[in-house]
Amino acid sequence: MGLIKKLPVYTEHIPGGSLVTTSVNSVLTMAQAKSLWYLLFGTACCAIELMATGASRYDFDRLGMIFRASPRQADIMLVAGTITKKMAPRVKRIYDQMAQPRYVLAMGGCAIGGGPFYYDCYSVLKGVDKIIPVDVFVPGCPPRPEALLQGCLEVGKKIRTLKLDEWS
Amino acid sequence: MTKAELTAHITTTFSGQVTVIENTQPEPYFIVKPEDLVAFARFIHDDSALQLTFLMNLAGADTGERYEVVYNVCSYQLKHRIFFKIQLPHDNPEFDTVIQVWPGANWFEREVWELFGMTVRNHPNLTRFLLEDDWNEGFPLRKGWTGTDFIPLPDRG
Ligand code: SF4
Repeated sequence: MGLIKKLPVYTEHIPGGSLVTTSVNSVLTMAQAKSLWYLLFGTACCAIELMATGASRYDFDRLGMIFRASPRQADIMLVAGTITKKMAPRVKRIYDQMAQPRYVLAMGGCAIGGGPFYYDCYSVLKGVDKIIPVDVFVPGCPPRPEALLQGCLEVGKKIRTLKLDEWS
Repeated sequence: MTKAELTAHITTTFSGQVTVIENTQPEPYFIVKPEDLVAFARFIHDDSALQLTFLMNLAGADTGERYEVVYNVCSYQLKHRIFFKIQLPHDNPEFDTVIQVWPGANWFEREVWELFGMTVRNHPNLTRFLLEDDWNEGFPLRKGWTGTDFIPLPDRG
């Protein structure tokens, strides 16, 4: 019943239980915010930190975040690592293959703006937001797992504020 | 063989001309003439006292005055390793492939061709694989190269 308490509900107690009235919007946004399946998209060292976050010490699963290897099944793309210019069209294509509503979290300096490869580099894309829209940026090189967890919670908060007709 | 023995064996037994680079590393280092490259590779690969059958690395370099291709070969059987390099002029750099000696040279030579623009003669498949498919900004590892969104490291004094 913990979840119910977080929803705008009208509850009527009847013998043997309760009747609950609430809005579709709040149920849907909460369901989505609590089960963000993420696309496994590690292209460099940040992916190691992503794995650490997914492993038992930090345990992504308790946020309802389970990795999917297919963009068709994923809600959020965690861009964990350097995106080279050669990779960029593939990133765009994988993003386009994700079903809507879809979200993107840019993890680490590389995905945000090129990171250590900003200067003197011919091959690295200077920020994944140049090719796909990004919802949350998590800075660091790499970010601590706590930072990544908070970034994912921020995506959840953003989803909770959406209206049904804004879903895209 | 020790470093001194390796150096002596190669300089005396190889019929072409090799120059020894003195260094403090544990491995000997030679300069080979580009026209001798394939013969030299074949010699150190087949010689029973050397048996350098494994190409560990092959890399290009731009020193500013000339281009260089550096080879790093080792022998698993005899547990020794040598380096050698060829030097090429800045205009029209070309060198011969060593795929017929070490098949592993294939992708290394493609990389040198792609990033430095040195032509590899007799290479079976000299095609692009590292940069974007529609790359048209030249050879990024050459000295002084710049591209459209290339940002040089600022001089912080
Ligand atoms: S931000 Fe740092 S840790 Fe993350 S991919 Fe880039 S270099 Fe690696």
